[in-house]
Amino acid sequence: MDTLFRLVSLQSDQSLNSSRTSSSSRSSRQNPYQQEDEECFNIFMDDEDFSSSSSKHYNPYPHHQLHHHTASNTPTPTTTTTTGSATPTHHHVYDQSANQFSYSPARDVTLEFAASLSGHDSKWASDILLETAKAIADRNSARVQQLMWMLNELGSLYGDIDQKLASYFLQGLFSRMMDSGDRTYRTLISASEKNCSFDSTRKMVLKFQEVSPWTMFGHVACNGAIIEAFEGANKLHIIDISNTFCTQWPTLLEAIATRSDETPYLRITTVLVSKAGGANGGSSGVQKVMKEIGSRMEKFARLMGVPFKFNVIHHAGDLSELNLAELDIKEDETLAINCVGALHSVTTVGNRRDSLISIFRKLQPRLVTVVEEEADLDIGVDGVEFVRGFQESLRWFRVYFEALDESFPKTSNERLMLERAAGCAIVDLVACPQVDSVERRETAARWSHRLQGGGFRPVSFSEEVSDDVRALLRRYKDGWSMVQGSDSTGIFLNWKDQPVVWASAWKP
Amino acid sequence: MVQIEKSASQASGESRFLFSDNHVKSEQSVEPTLPVKKKRNLPGMPDPDAEVIALSPKTLMATNRFVCEICNKGFQRDQNLQLHRRGHNLPWKLRQRTNKEVRKRVYLCPEPACIHHDPSRALGDLTGIKKHFCRKHGEKKFKCERCSKKYAVRSDWKAHMKTCGTREYRCDCGTLFSRRDSFITHRAFCDALAQETALSQPLAITSPGGVMKLQVVAPLVAAVVSSPPPPPLTPSTGMWSPVLSIQSSELPENHIPQLPPPPGAAAPFPGAPTVTASNSSTSSGNVPGNGGVLASIFNVSTSAEHPHTAQPPVASYSTMLCTMTGPDQHVIDPMSLSLSSTLYLSSGSSSLLYPAALGHPHRHYTPTPQPALSATALLQKAAQMGATSSNSSFLHGLGLSMIPPPDPQDSRNSAIAPSHWSNTTHVKLENNSVASGLGLGLPSSNSPASFNELMMNSSSLFGNKPATLDFLGLGMGAGETSAGGFSAFLSSITDGLDMTTSNSFAGVGSTMDTWDYPSDRKPSML
Repeated sequence: MDTLFRLVSLQSDQSLNSSRTSSSSRSSRQNPYQQEDEECFNIFMDDEDFSSSSSKHYNPYPHHQLHHHTASNTPTPTTTTTTGSATPTHHHVYDQSANQFSYSPARDVTLEFAASLSGHDSKWASDILLETAKAIADRNSARVQQLMWMLNELGSLYGDIDQKLASYFLQGLFSRMMDSGDRTYRTLISASEKNCSFDSTRKMVLKFQEVSPWTMFGHVACNGAIIEAFEGANKLHIIDISNTFCTQWPTLLEAIATRSDETPYLRITTVLVSKAGGANGGSSGVQKVMKEIGSRMEKFARLMGVPFKFNVIHHAGDLSELNLAELDIKEDETLAINCVGALHSVTTVGNRRDSLISIFRKLQPRLVTVVEEEADLDIGVDGVEFVRGFQESLRWFRVYFEALDESFPKTSNERLMLERAAGCAIVDLVACPQVDSVERRETAARWSHRLQGGGFRPVSFSEEVSDDVRALLRRYKDGWSMVQGSDSTGIFLNWKDQPVVWASAWKP
Repeated sequence: MVQIEKSASQASGESRFLFSDNHVKSEQSVEPTLPVKKKRNLPGMPDPDAEVIALSPKTLMATNRFVCEICNKGFQRDQNLQLHRRGHNLPWKLRQRTNKEVRKRVYLCPEPACIHHDPSRALGDLTGIKKHFCRKHGEKKFKCERCSKKYAVRSDWKAHMKTCGTREYRCDCGTLFSRRDSFITHRAFCDALAQETALSQPLAITSPGGVMKLQVVAPLVAAVVSSPPPPPLTPSTGMWSPVLSIQSSELPENHIPQLPPPPGAAAPFPGAPTVTASNSSTSSGNVPGNGGVLASIFNVSTSAEHPHTAQPPVASYSTMLCTMTGPDQHVIDPMSLSLSSTLYLSSGSSSLLYPAALGHPHRHYTPTPQPALSATALLQKAAQMGATSSNSSFLHGLGLSMIPPPDPQDSRNSAIAPSHWSNTTHVKLENNSVASGLGLGLPSSNSPASFNELMMNSSSLFGNKPATLDFLGLGMGAGETSAGGFSAFLSSITDGLDMTTSNSFAGVGSTMDTWDYPSDRKPSML
């Protein structure tokens, strides 16, 4: 029987068994394989054993595993027993499954990655994952299974970067195989939203800003550009479509309060986009958080003496379908649109991104600021396109995880939350239909092209703003730098010479 | 006299109370009578009789334009050059001091778009206008290598360099920040801020036309001084009442019921009578007189006696405010009371106007409860930020007290500066010399001119050392120049405040000399 078929046939069981599904995703630390460990042949044994072993896997494991794999693939049974020191159950399981794979390809999967696994500076997760993606594209189900099994064994949400990548991407690939991307995504989101409180959100966002310029980079650049664009205006309105929970605004408020001319009137309308049909219970959590944030913004503005009005619009569905009337833009307001990580949430299907930009154009803002993560994650549906996109995702998330790794202390709850959010994004990218995807980042060049096509021209950041950004980066650990974009379209935040975030400003 | 002004034109999205003791009469010699109602109070409120001088940008930017033909040494003033020429045995001529009063001069900013281009807003001294022009309309040539902040005025930059990176911002929650923007962001999200305002509830006083600003000018002499004056803090304040900039939204909700319709809604109402009693608990030990008997030190026990339970602070506020405004009973949330300006005000004014103060009963208020204090910390910080990044300073607040407020900028400043009103308004009927000693090197304290500078032109006071506008009370720049002394003074205030709240005042203020120049003290922010 074909394994893929078995995997697919599983879905029906799962959908009947809804309680299992939800329990399996009550937190992302549990591996999706749990869903199938009984229905499918018992490759994966029981859950407890699996999870306990994966947490033990931390450092020495890959090495050990390597031995084990090589050993177990040799026909002599004696080697199997000799390696059974730390995780005997696994050996057993592996042997069993290996025996069952009568149709497994002749090539030795583990040997294939031996070098990668043993190498000091290896990126074994990327290697194996990429192979898995290729196998999926080739519809080589046996190989897919083997590789996935391997990933499952090696990966851990609490391990090093490779283990984490293995784990999160495996989740994505598995959901893809199961065609359950949507459901996995939803359960992940609702799980994270269940834990979402003002407190935890604040902690996460502020901690992230404290240790890494990842988001602050965009904030400083955009605020600088916005303040300059607003010079002289006395009724300001910022349409804020961002994912940083208004942490951008206190410094802007302060800057406005200390502006040399008269303190202007400021409105901020924050648009929060959630996936259409997303878990409603979850978004109420977000609404609560935003309400609290709003009241704090108002208090702070009062403190700063800035006449201020704050409004939140919760928009379910694609951003390009936003009801503009809700924004309540007044004639006499000077408008700025601040998009931080917003554009990539628009679906890539059907020109929606361009149409959103032309909607912005119609609003006649004085300035549009765009901050996007620099990656090309438009993962294709299938075949080579899929592999290419998958590879880029691997690259991107590795950079991201590495940046997190070097910024945060080893055991940081906030970091774990950020990684889980990245895990969600990975599921979205790898397993969800393109139409629903909210994570498909594009490169600065592509965005620039779109924005220029939409009737905007780039505004380069002033020397002062660039100085501010550079000053910001100096406070963080080494490795961060600012690089001017080509053709004066914005600036990049580089991490170890890889551009990771792009900030830009645009005028109609 | 209490006046309320409604200025609906201030479309500020909120309403504010601005309390100000108006002490016009005693100041009239130095300060032109100002209409009690004024929409704006920006620096530069010159004497109408003053000679208005417009200097060219070149002159303003010029450094050392008086050059010695022998040695090419440049001087900023002709007088100095003349003195120098003496050394070369060249003919020299010092301008003779003209008889009696020199006519006061005020200076215009040459920048047409600038508010100080208008003669009515001219600045009161030459240094002030130079620095103003340089800061606002000049190139920022001086850059801090560390944080890349730029300054147009060298002294600003130098002062910044001294403190850049060394400063820590401490939030009420105990978290320390070395970076200003992190601190700001944290502050906006911190529970400490939320708690401070938790009591208060927005009081909507929105007129159809927008938002109004309420301006209540409190009677000059409100309450009788009760317990001994606050020592290190305020030399004397009686007359300079603070400018309290309050946003009506901060009114504690539990007091709203007692309130008559928001004052702003009413037409200006008759001045409140002089209030005779202050908060009962504090006034219990009332020392009657103006006679300066109050040598006893501020006795913190008074404040300590205040149970710091939920009720009392509020109660004392209300008392206090009732005291202030008389029958009208405006109650203001502590947080929005602008303490800082009061402080600075009193310090500035004490030496200058002390004699006048003697003739007046003084006011005594209860110490502010804790929460407000923490607001101070924040806002002192915020204010400091503002002070260095722009012209605005708490001296606006100073000016405010004389000149009925609400310039948005000023009120912002004072709003930024939170509230420990009470502490600062403890009046000290110490002897005059102490008071002037407390003037801490404010420029020539008794001359009307300097007074004018102080009141009219923030930059003239702080101009010399803008960065010593250390309202944080961190006292870093303290002690260098007059402004430094001022800052030292402020820091002492902060110290005092802290102590007050911690009820550990013991003896600190007991002798004046102990707090004369406590510049080395680094107050801890709450």
